[in-house]
Amino acid sequence: MTTAEPQAQKTTVTVTVDGVTFEAQPGELVIKAAQEHGVYIPRFCWHERMEPVGMCRMCLVEIEGGRGYPPACTTPVADGMVVHTQTDAVKQIQDGVLEFLLINHPLDCPVCDRGGECPLQDQTLAFGPGESRFVEEKRHFPKPIPLSELVLLDRERCIQCARCIRFADEIAGDVLIDFVDRGDRMQVLNFEEQPFDSYFSGNTVQICPVGALTASQYRFRARPWDLSTVETSCTTCSMHCRGAVQSSSNRLVRLLAVDSEPVNHGWLCDKGRYGLEWVHSEHRLIEPQVRDGGVWSEVSWPDALDRAADAIETAKELHGADAIAVLGGARGTNEDAYVWSVLAKGVIGTDNVDAQLGDGLPAEFVLGMERAEIADLDRARAIVVLDHDLRDEVPVLFLRLRRAVLELGVPLVDLAPAAHGLSAHAAVIARTVPGEPLAANVHDEISRACEGRQGRVVVVVGRGNLAAAADSIVGAAAELARVHDVRFLSALRRGNVHGALDAGLAPGFLPGRTTLDAGRAWFTDQWGGVPAERGLDAEGILRAAADGKIRVLVLVGADPVSDFPDATLARRAIDAVDTIIAVDGFESESTKRAEVFLPCTLWGEKAGTVTNLEGRVQRVGRKVAPEGTAMDDWRIAAELALRLGRDLDLATVDEVTDEIARVAPAFAGVTSELVKSARDGAVLPVAGHLDEIVLRTGELSIMADDGSGTSWDPIKVHGEAPEEPADESEVTAHVDAPALHVWDRRAPQPEAPARDAYALRLVVGRALYDDGRLVSETPLLQRLVRDPDLRVHPSDLARIGVDSGGQVKVTSTRGSQVVAVRADAGVPAGIACMDFSADALGAALLVDAGQPVVDLRVESLR
Amino acid sequence: MGRFSGFLVTLRQMGKPRLTTEYPKVKHDKPERLHGRHVLNRYEDGMEKCIGCELCAGVCPARCIYVRGADNPIDDPVSPGERYGFVYEINYLRCIHCDLCVEACPTEAITETKLFEFSFTNRSDAIYTKDQLLVDDAGRAQRLPWELWLGGEDDATSAWMRATSPSGASAYEGRVSWSGELGFGVRPPEHGQQPANPKPQDD
Repeated sequence: MTTAEPQAQKTTVTVTVDGVTFEAQPGELVIKAAQEHGVYIPRFCWHERMEPVGMCRMCLVEIEGGRGYPPACTTPVADGMVVHTQTDAVKQIQDGVLEFLLINHPLDCPVCDRGGECPLQDQTLAFGPGESRFVEEKRHFPKPIPLSELVLLDRERCIQCARCIRFADEIAGDVLIDFVDRGDRMQVLNFEEQPFDSYFSGNTVQICPVGALTASQYRFRARPWDLSTVETSCTTCSMHCRGAVQSSSNRLVRLLAVDSEPVNHGWLCDKGRYGLEWVHSEHRLIEPQVRDGGVWSEVSWPDALDRAADAIETAKELHGADAIAVLGGARGTNEDAYVWSVLAKGVIGTDNVDAQLGDGLPAEFVLGMERAEIADLDRARAIVVLDHDLRDEVPVLFLRLRRAVLELGVPLVDLAPAAHGLSAHAAVIARTVPGEPLAANVHDEISRACEGRQGRVVVVVGRGNLAAAADSIVGAAAELARVHDVRFLSALRRGNVHGALDAGLAPGFLPGRTTLDAGRAWFTDQWGGVPAERGLDAEGILRAAADGKIRVLVLVGADPVSDFPDATLARRAIDAVDTIIAVDGFESESTKRAEVFLPCTLWGEKAGTVTNLEGRVQRVGRKVAPEGTAMDDWRIAAELALRLGRDLDLATVDEVTDEIARVAPAFAGVTSELVKSARDGAVLPVAGHLDEIVLRTGELSIMADDGSGTSWDPIKVHGEAPEEPADESEVTAHVDAPALHVWDRRAPQPEAPARDAYALRLVVGRALYDDGRLVSETPLLQRLVRDPDLRVHPSDLARIGVDSGGQVKVTSTRGSQVVAVRADAGVPAGIACMDFSADALGAALLVDAGQPVVDLRVESLR
Repeated sequence: MGRFSGFLVTLRQMGKPRLTTEYPKVKHDKPERLHGRHVLNRYEDGMEKCIGCELCAGVCPARCIYVRGADNPIDDPVSPGERYGFVYEINYLRCIHCDLCVEACPTEAITETKLFEFSFTNRSDAIYTKDQLLVDDAGRAQRLPWELWLGGEDDATSAWMRATSPSGASAYEGRVSWSGELGFGVRPPEHGQQPANPKPQDD
């Protein structure tokens, strides 16, 4: 049907669907092209992010001149094509397909979680016959059966569209479910004794066009019509997938993925999707408390704030501002981070401020590197992974990477210390050894991998190993920076860590990616003063605290005892500090000793902006009223500033956003107005990404306004490019504003001891379901936490003399403990991998932050 | 005559039938279709009919119904099927007795009695919980202290007919389509209706 005639270099094809004539891209599918021009063709199996299969036969259409009735989801458009979707013959087909699907589909819609937002219901109403001729008994299965802890399967409701199976295979790469049996007994099942424990299983629930797959977290929690929805970004990791958070009776009940082209492509990980419950945990502290004579007592906000301000003021008078340190700030919004930055650096005058807890990379590198966007992965010359396992750290970035490598054929250069989910698809594998420089031939290998390809090289760089100093990663990055046309994509995982760093919550930096020295004049003008010299980072702060040099430690949503890689140092520091002021939602190992506890709002309870790993500023939405009297972090900081003698004159979140846009150079132009009107947010600095801004033209397509409800799969927000490109002068910083920091590409080479033949070098990464607060306060996810074990190469296992699964005693310079050991051929010989956790089984007690690497002695217990 | 003309009025009325009754000791019969306070019905085996689907809450124009569903306990199910009404509350300070909930209910769990004489002295009494709305073991509505029940008002609390069929076809109009349940079964058809369930004609 395709006409290959040279038609005056026309790059589009002309198609008519139901009398609407439009231009479409060659190769585009009829179903998609029609939808984009307002003609909805019913479908069940087709999903625009997956390969078409033509299984459900719902989208059959009539094409003039063609034979039969082809499925619109597998037919590409052709020039001059005339399609009819409403003829009598097509109508008869649709009636027939729906009647056939409903033969065995139970009519238990009133108890089905999908009832009310069900594509089968909606399309039956819109396209179906109205009555069934089937009077016999329907097929029965026991229901529901769990496919995993998170996903329940009702086989009676399944219409065999294979969306879930295709998602698991094509998108997630976890082939854990498939069809078994044939005919009317055909059913989706997991394999025997192997649950569907993909990190992405929740997506199958969202794309299931019926109620066959339901989420155990949402089971019978609410019905679609009593939900209210706000568009937001998930801040569980730094990817900031777009989502629609829904609540019922002031409780968060569900997070749905929104399809955002630059970020998440409509997917979420299960931790983000189901990690809502912690907001309403019974363990949350929701009233301010102070400690009197060792006993907690609830007090009023003014009393608690006075007490905190007094402690800060006294310490400053007696010991100077450097005796005060602020840790944390990566959990909140940009506004939270900025006002805390003003309080710490402008009002108190200390530069001992760090949003990363020794588990990140130096701010000099993160803020100054030449950044790539996530979308650059798709068109890269090659992708270099300089991290551990992205699937555990930034899961949806892993999906984007997987798509770029598998679907778009971008070569992958794998420099991770051990094999991970994408290693099987890597063009080049060169395992980095912690503490050692990159392999000498890495440049040759990279150029070999990208032979004959155009575009940039994107290096995905994260803190892959918490047991080795960050310097070695910066060193490797400096080496890779010599590659021609290279860009870096940070994979730091902590919620809003990039926003916090951008807001100046790092030693030596001021808001907007400016160094203390460069921004001194400008910010002294704006704030009335900045610290005199560079302060300490998290490790330095904890060391100083352990030595008694830090008198007041402010923990803004930070728990160093559980999160700092070297738990021993963190505990010593916490024990040595005079006064701890905690701004948090929960009591933690670190806040237990606090003098003042100020309860803050959590995700879902606060509005504002956040910055993701590519520097994209997007909005988070407030869906529920905060528990108790919890306050936004930024408001707490503003109240403290007021008590320390400075009125910041900030009343609303939007005012803070606008002040950031005015003051912080990298944020120039990112006003509250822009963030609200730009559908996909804006990438910092905006001046360099103006052409990417898409203005929103509608709200979330969760339900169609007319109740037809057939258009929300996937959930999207409509937008269009502005008619006139924005004026560049509006998004450039003030002429006096300091320049942005640029990474000097200096490569620190840590002096790591040579590996000896008896020790295993430790690689510590984060598991997705770790012992963090979100997981431990969400019972459903808590069940998915694995006990950390030591993974070593089988040959090392033989050398130690234990079987896989046996117990070994591991000893580092810090301490020793007993863990289970497991053979893993993906771990190179001489390396031992372990998941980070702060409890007795985890790696935190083995890590010594003072050492460039950690070498383990491993002894069999026999 | 003059001053006695008023007595004439009284005398004239004496022979006529009396309309005033000793309310509340004596009550007028209420119309067949009066919408009173609700009951939640049970099946003959005592299982609750409510499945917690929230359709009543969804359709309620006064937003006075609050329902939450939950998984039926496997060893001691409350209702047939997977789900039961875990919370069921009606706020009678808001209810306008429109009966849309009764029409929406897919299991005939919620129906209305003829009782409208109930008044409260505090808000919490006005919010009826599931325990108060459920019929007793005999299938009769519970009599709460602030409700004035007189004989017969809790008969025929159920088995009402739909004004129109769900699909709106007039052929179904007046068709008594509900099943009988515990104690108080099918009410006789109203005047002009078919007694049984005739096959509806297509219109």
